[in-house]
Amino acid sequence: MLSVISYPVFAFSIVLALVLSSSLFPVEWFEFRPEWLGLMVFYWTFRAPAQFGILLAWCLGLLLDVLEATPLGVNALGMGVIAFLVLTIHQRLRMYPMPQQCLMVFLLLGINQMLVHFIKQILGADDSGFSYLWPALTSAIVWPIVCVVLDNLNRKLG
Amino acid sequence: MRLLLIIVLSAVLIVADSRFNQVTEIRSAIGTGLAPVHWLGNAPSELSDWVAGLFTSKDELQAENEELRARLLILERRALKYAALASENNELRRLMNSSEVLDDRVIVGEVVAVSPDPFSHEVVINRGSRDGVEVGQAILDANGLMGQVQQTSSFTSRVLLVSDSSHAVPVEVVRNGLRAILLGNGDTDSLELVHVPDTADIREGDLLVSSGLGGRFPKGYPVAEVDRITKEQGEPFVKIEATPLAKLNKSRLLLVVFSPEQEATDQAQETAPATGADVPEQDEVR
Repeated sequence: MLSVISYPVFAFSIVLALVLSSSLFPVEWFEFRPEWLGLMVFYWTFRAPAQFGILLAWCLGLLLDVLEATPLGVNALGMGVIAFLVLTIHQRLRMYPMPQQCLMVFLLLGINQMLVHFIKQILGADDSGFSYLWPALTSAIVWPIVCVVLDNLNRKLG
Repeated sequence: MRLLLIIVLSAVLIVADSRFNQVTEIRSAIGTGLAPVHWLGNAPSELSDWVAGLFTSKDELQAENEELRARLLILERRALKYAALASENNELRRLMNSSEVLDDRVIVGEVVAVSPDPFSHEVVINRGSRDGVEVGQAILDANGLMGQVQQTSSFTSRVLLVSDSSHAVPVEVVRNGLRAILLGNGDTDSLELVHVPDTADIREGDLLVSSGLGGRFPKGYPVAEVDRITKEQGEPFVKIEATPLAKLNKSRLLLVVFSPEQEATDQAQETAPATGADVPEQDEVR
């Protein structure tokens, strides 16, 4: 847990995550795009569980729903679930070394992706195998960078 | 406790959205709020365009200018011929007592974002309900039909491309007027022409244009070209693959088409309260 958190950094990171998840990624590699907003929700609930919780995550997910044009509430539910899971395990999570944290990122975002994919299937999207899990893997790979950068920003500006 | 709350909230929202279309206004409002995100996402490419513009030499500009002028001349000649043909066509239609064909009005829009969901083919353009864009309008690029408007907010609207697996266009073969339905199948450079009987007169290389029969797309815009026809013994329909003419994943500038009927109803709605008189129902223009 950080002793101080900087709200401007929070706002900036969320806007950046939204921008990154709607553009600035090569079209051919769309499948592999990290789940940026999921990473942000993970980071902020992990670092500041007292300030950021399920409801805020849910609202952020709603924004992602509008960006992705999925039925309102699908990604919102996913983000809420990420926040909930992080809140339940964050005390253990702080003890974990970086590789194990990456594994947790993969698991949690994977659960989120599965949930989102499951609801979309119920609503009639077509099935495309397990490729919907790629974002969870790429997110786990970029997690150390995101974590270090945001920690440094928080320390400097918080 | 909170988890339960958000699960219930989400479930209500999902059902309201997907089954009853109740939340379009909330979505449009949030979409308007998110317009800056699209602008920001588009900023780097605009910046690089601008920087590239700074370093273009005068010679290059002149060469480009000349090229464009030559092209303009060719197109103008074609337009002249088109005007003559269109008036002749209208004359003939009048002789046959059918209604006249009006030309469509277009505005130019630019793609500002691509849908983050890799399994749906959608783009966001920088024209919204403030520019008069409405759900269901056809979108073209320089080569052919791209898709249709699916959602609008004040500054942006979301376009479903013809290659999306939930999209279908009624088309006809230019050569003989054979009608069929062109389905997207989630692949940007291949579409599927369905329900064409085994014996139908269709060949590889045939141009498919929108037939205007669904009442959604205007008639006569090129959509795709027949690429491959596979006949299978014992199947009632042939399997036909077509290549979309529009550059679905490359075009940045595109055209939003306002069909004459839509303009007519818009005007009727505008003038009706002003004059206070009943405006007669507009006839189908085609």
